[in-house]
Amino acid sequence: MLTIAVSKGRIYEEALPLLAEAGIVPVDDPKTCRKLILATTREDVQLVIIRATDVPTFVEYGAADLGIAGKDVLIEHGAESLYEPLDLNIACCRLMTAYHKDAPEHRGRIRVATKYVKIAKSYFASKGIQADIIKLYGSMELAPLVGLADCIVDLVDTGNTLKANDLEPRELIMNISSRLVVNKAAMKMKHAAISELLIQFEKTLANR
Amino acid sequence: MQQKDSWLLPDGIEEILPEEAKHLENLRRELLELFACWGYGLVIPPFIDFLDSLLTGSGHDLDLQTFKLTDQISGEMLGVRADMTPQVARIDAHNLKYEWPTRLCYVGTILHTRGDPLEKTRSPMQIGAELYGHAGKESDVEVIRLMLEMLARTGLQNIHLDLGHVGIYRALARQAGLTDLQESELFDVLQRKARPELQELMDSYSIDNDLKVMLLKLPELNGGKDILDKARIVLLKANDAVKNALADLEAIAQKLATHFPFLPVSFDLAELRGYHYHTGMVFAAFIPSVGREIARGGRYDNIGAVFGRARPATGFSADLKLLSSLSKQSCPVGQRELIFAPYSDDFALSEIIRDLRARQRAVVQQLPGQTGSAKELGCTSILEQDNKNWVVRPLV
Repeated sequence: MLTIAVSKGRIYEEALPLLAEAGIVPVDDPKTCRKLILATTREDVQLVIIRATDVPTFVEYGAADLGIAGKDVLIEHGAESLYEPLDLNIACCRLMTAYHKDAPEHRGRIRVATKYVKIAKSYFASKGIQADIIKLYGSMELAPLVGLADCIVDLVDTGNTLKANDLEPRELIMNISSRLVVNKAAMKMKHAAISELLIQFEKTLANR
Repeated sequence: MQQKDSWLLPDGIEEILPEEAKHLENLRRELLELFACWGYGLVIPPFIDFLDSLLTGSGHDLDLQTFKLTDQISGEMLGVRADMTPQVARIDAHNLKYEWPTRLCYVGTILHTRGDPLEKTRSPMQIGAELYGHAGKESDVEVIRLMLEMLARTGLQNIHLDLGHVGIYRALARQAGLTDLQESELFDVLQRKARPELQELMDSYSIDNDLKVMLLKLPELNGGKDILDKARIVLLKANDAVKNALADLEAIAQKLATHFPFLPVSFDLAELRGYHYHTGMVFAAFIPSVGREIARGGRYDNIGAVFGRARPATGFSADLKLLSSLSKQSCPVGQRELIFAPYSDDFALSEIIRDLRARQRAVVQQLPGQTGSAKELGCTSILEQDNKNWVVRPLV
């Protein structure tokens, strides 16, 4: 039995066609069904639906053999204890800094609101800027407006939320897409099943 | 800390309660006895040591993992051992100085500043065995066999063995003339088998194209026995060091197959665990219920050089606490006899108790005015007076 951890929402929606090509179609729809473990049309594969930030944890511990997680989550989590063999090229977006549109270029020490504490710290350090990081769990855009921070570090897709709040994206930190991650022990003990799946995904990706 | 929280232990530090402790201690004795039967002599290195000698030949990781303190006598930095292997290597190189193969084993608590993200514990009980003074694959086979015996004695089933060889990556990196920075970037990417990032790195390096192709293929070279054949084709243009490494791996697998014909073995040529430390073949054991390796080891030649003598070395280690909890799940031990003796001034009773204990039978004697029945104390039998004679009767 192979267990694949997927997060709800955009990653799940965009992963469905990929999984379908490998013959994996969930029997229930997580939108209407409250089950956290979804059986699929392949008897030897099940999906677990969890929060995006929990995917690396589940896979690391071997609670799931494989997982689909954004590169942002993997870097923030620190993923040395996982294999990440494939870039699935789904749920693509950019991790950027954003400032109030009228804010002048910042000098000196900076206050940054973000949920990406590690990434923000190392990004500003690489620019030679000392940053004080304020960890927030949501509504980052509010922080510069109420004087909580000078800027934010967040994922940008269309940029509409930023615009609606008088913010503008400035520096690109990295391009983000979802990766397939594999538990190290599973890769060795369930090698045949997993490598077959990898080959299938690769084929589908090559044809896109 | 508030008074009411004074029972709390630091993160990752645990106490072991009687039942678990008994199981662990039994296992510890059994495994040390096993090592002794294979001719491995027990050594007991110190819990703290000079930092420099603890960190010998190891990478940056072990440095971060080591608790440090200042020695008030010498002013030098001391460390609490985070790995016992360098200490055992020093004993072989500096104290014993035998010219022949030396077999040593050890068990003891080590401390880590940061728990392994998966294990959570910061105080594993490291148990292991090391074989010094023989450079051939025969000694590698011996320590792998001993590790497998250890896991079998622990009562674990469905063991899976993974073999790798850090010499392959090292030789390719050298052949490509990578700088230290490039070598460590590439190391990070290979450890995660992150093929997209590997491609990016290769595109940015100006190295020989054949080597690029070989390095790009490295993360795919894992799987069953056929991988070695595939590797010979993929790594055709590599130097002799790579070819020798492949031949060694094959020979080791063949020898192991004669001892363990049903053992599932996989190969992973991009497995770089302990890369800064190991010099040759590396191995790890897995079981299905645990998402990581449960015992690991490999070859680490010449570590003794800093202590005055370079010696070939190979060995393995595991966390005894982890092995104990896994074996407790798979084969819980039966209850041991415990005899309850009532409180009495009768000298004959004292004599009987002394005699029972001398014959390795456990006796607990009641204290005057105590609460708790024989049953509540966990006793299985009771000493009773029968016609002025004390006799042991099972407790019903």
